Amino acid sequence: MAEIIENDQLSRAQAARQTETASQLRTRRTVLAALRYLAILIVVFILVFPFAWMLLSSFKNQIDITTNRNLLQFTPTLQNYHNVFQQQNYLQYLFNSFLVALASTVLSLVLGLPAAYGIARFHANWLGVVLLTARIIPGITFLVPWYIIFGRLGLLGSYWALILSHMLVGLPFIAWVMIPFFESLPHELEESARIDGATHFGAFFRIALPLAVPGIITASIMAFIFSWNNFMFSLVLAGDDTRTLPIAIFNFLSYSSVDWGGLMAAAVVITLPVLVMTLFVQRYIVAGLTAGATKG
Amino acid sequence: MRRTLIFILVLALVTTLGGALVQAQDDNALVAGVSDEFAGTELRLIFANHPWNNAIQQLLPQFEAASGITLRVESYFEDQLSQRLQIGLTSGTTQADAFMFRPLQEGKLFASNGWVEDLSEYVTRDAEWNWEDFQTATRSTVTFDDFLYGIPIVTEREMLYYRADIFEENGLEPPATLEELEAIAAQLNNPDEEFYGVVIRGRRSPAVTQFSSFLYSFGGDWIVDGQSGLDSPEALEAYTYYGNLLRNYGPPGTVNMSWPEALAIFQQGKAAMWIDADVFYANVIDSTQSVVADSVGFAPFPEGPAGANQYNVTSWALGMNAGSPNKDAAWEFIKWATSAPVVLELQQRGTPGARQSVWDSPEGLSGFPADYAEVVQLQSARGVGYDRPTVIRVGEARDIVGAPIVTAIEGGDVEAAVREAHEAFNAFLETDG
Repeated sequence: MAEIIENDQLSRAQAARQTETASQLRTRRTVLAALRYLAILIVVFILVFPFAWMLLSSFKNQIDITTNRNLLQFTPTLQNYHNVFQQQNYLQYLFNSFLVALASTVLSLVLGLPAAYGIARFHANWLGVVLLTARIIPGITFLVPWYIIFGRLGLLGSYWALILSHMLVGLPFIAWVMIPFFESLPHELEESARIDGATHFGAFFRIALPLAVPGIITASIMAFIFSWNNFMFSLVLAGDDTRTLPIAIFNFLSYSSVDWGGLMAAAVVITLPVLVMTLFVQRYIVAGLTAGATKG
Repeated sequence: MRRTLIFILVLALVTTLGGALVQAQDDNALVAGVSDEFAGTELRLIFANHPWNNAIQQLLPQFEAASGITLRVESYFEDQLSQRLQIGLTSGTTQADAFMFRPLQEGKLFASNGWVEDLSEYVTRDAEWNWEDFQTATRSTVTFDDFLYGIPIVTEREMLYYRADIFEENGLEPPATLEELEAIAAQLNNPDEEFYGVVIRGRRSPAVTQFSSFLYSFGGDWIVDGQSGLDSPEALEAYTYYGNLLRNYGPPGTVNMSWPEALAIFQQGKAAMWIDADVFYANVIDSTQSVVADSVGFAPFPEGPAGANQYNVTSWALGMNAGSPNKDAAWEFIKWATSAPVVLELQQRGTPGARQSVWDSPEGLSGFPADYAEVVQLQSARGVGYDRPTVIRVGEARDIVGAPIVTAIEGGDVEAAVREAHEAFNAFLETDG
């Protein structure tokens, strides 16, 4: 009897201990989860704060921007956006940026995709390295020769000068993202296409390209953003009516005054299209970025 | 009744026509001396984002009509302008025939590389245009070893902005000497209320230009006989004074301030005095930017032991590309843009020019607030023609001579910092040019 009671007590104690550890575990998990969310919040705050500040400031006048009162205490104004689109010719600059980014990305794809495929399939690694040197050499090195060449060709200030120069960034990038992508595609698919009578090009166009779409989208988005944000090449090679947004934003700075509100509104205008675009194709970017990594 | 009506109508018609005629004559006066011998030429101009640019853009059609020259203008922010010009001029392509540039920042570099045309012969061509009319200090800014590398278009001087309301409340007059400046700054400084005696730039490189007037007024100079002048007792005194003034009576964080920060503090009503270039007056009296717009006073730079030696410089000049195929047409444009009627017109629109005759005429001052005009007129007739060391690699030099400013504001060992800067500056001068 006594034994039974003892056993009973023992098991009860055990059970109690078990529930205790279980609840301990639960609290620990809750604490960990809370910490995790806290960490996420901190990171998000740090990342988002400048954007929030930019957005808020774009609706403020100069006095409210430079004051050290409460960040949220101001009378909103649309004057800055009015300046961006009416006083400054931002629609033109938006168009320029779109045109140059789109054209340089498309041309980079046209040249870069076959190149990447060729390098991947025929193991022409040295060619890949040659492409990479274009990225390793600092961009500014190219500027003076380009300036002279484009000047002689009469292309200075034209869209072509911008598109071609932006391809220097886009083309190697696209090729380098796509090389591992093509390498990871199974050989057999193209081989069977070849057996069925397709040429090398046919196999590339009909089999490899469709399979590589996620990678292509990632690479294109990145190339587009590089071009969209490019400052140095556009500064030197653009003309007055072909200048792109990152150059045009400096119109709000002048010798003895800085129009902070206009600057912020212009920054919003520059950021928004890319932000929206990136949100839409985000899942491709993630898929594309990891695709090369998992090849075995 | 009817007759009166007709009479009034006719009168109105005549006055309108007459007015238009007078207007037309006025407009013609702006382009009176312009020749049309270069009709059909296209000139490419690169300008900075600057009030001068905004103002002259409105006059360009008149020049184009009178001369038959087509103008193509591009505008950039000053740093971009500098980069673009340097790449364009290095590569020898003729992207621009004439351009705006900062003589004190880029002039010597452009001149020593042969990028800009020597204009000393051009200015003698037309006596009526009158080169002698340009103020001496501003002419000295654009000349170096008899090489004239630009025609002054915008001038600036260091001045004192102060809160007239607060000065009046305390029964104070704006400081006439640097001693008084320090005393008033001490009296009005109230850090507990976030109100400071004085704000001036304190960041290493940007502070150099505003410190220069202090240096000259204590009797020092950057370069003496080709050697660094920083080891003089006067220079040490100036650095020490500047540092003490800002450390004791300036806002916190002064060593991170260039003009946008200092300006914002004054505009927000957080400082009793601000010392900087006189070009900023429009920003402080604009009520959309400044909460103290209605209570700003202007005063000359205070006198130091060696006198009132504020800088008085050509901040912007028009230069001509030495490789331009259209030099004579470019000169026709530069000559017009710097002619007395145009300078007067631009000055009336708020851009201080370099012509003495314009400063001497009442019309020349009409574009400015009266008290401001008085100070600028006084200061434009005197002063030193450079606000930074006149060397080729200006950026590097500014970093060297600016270092003791930071040390002084932070309360460090000024003497050691100045000695170090002196040696570094001497080494720099040996390799510069």
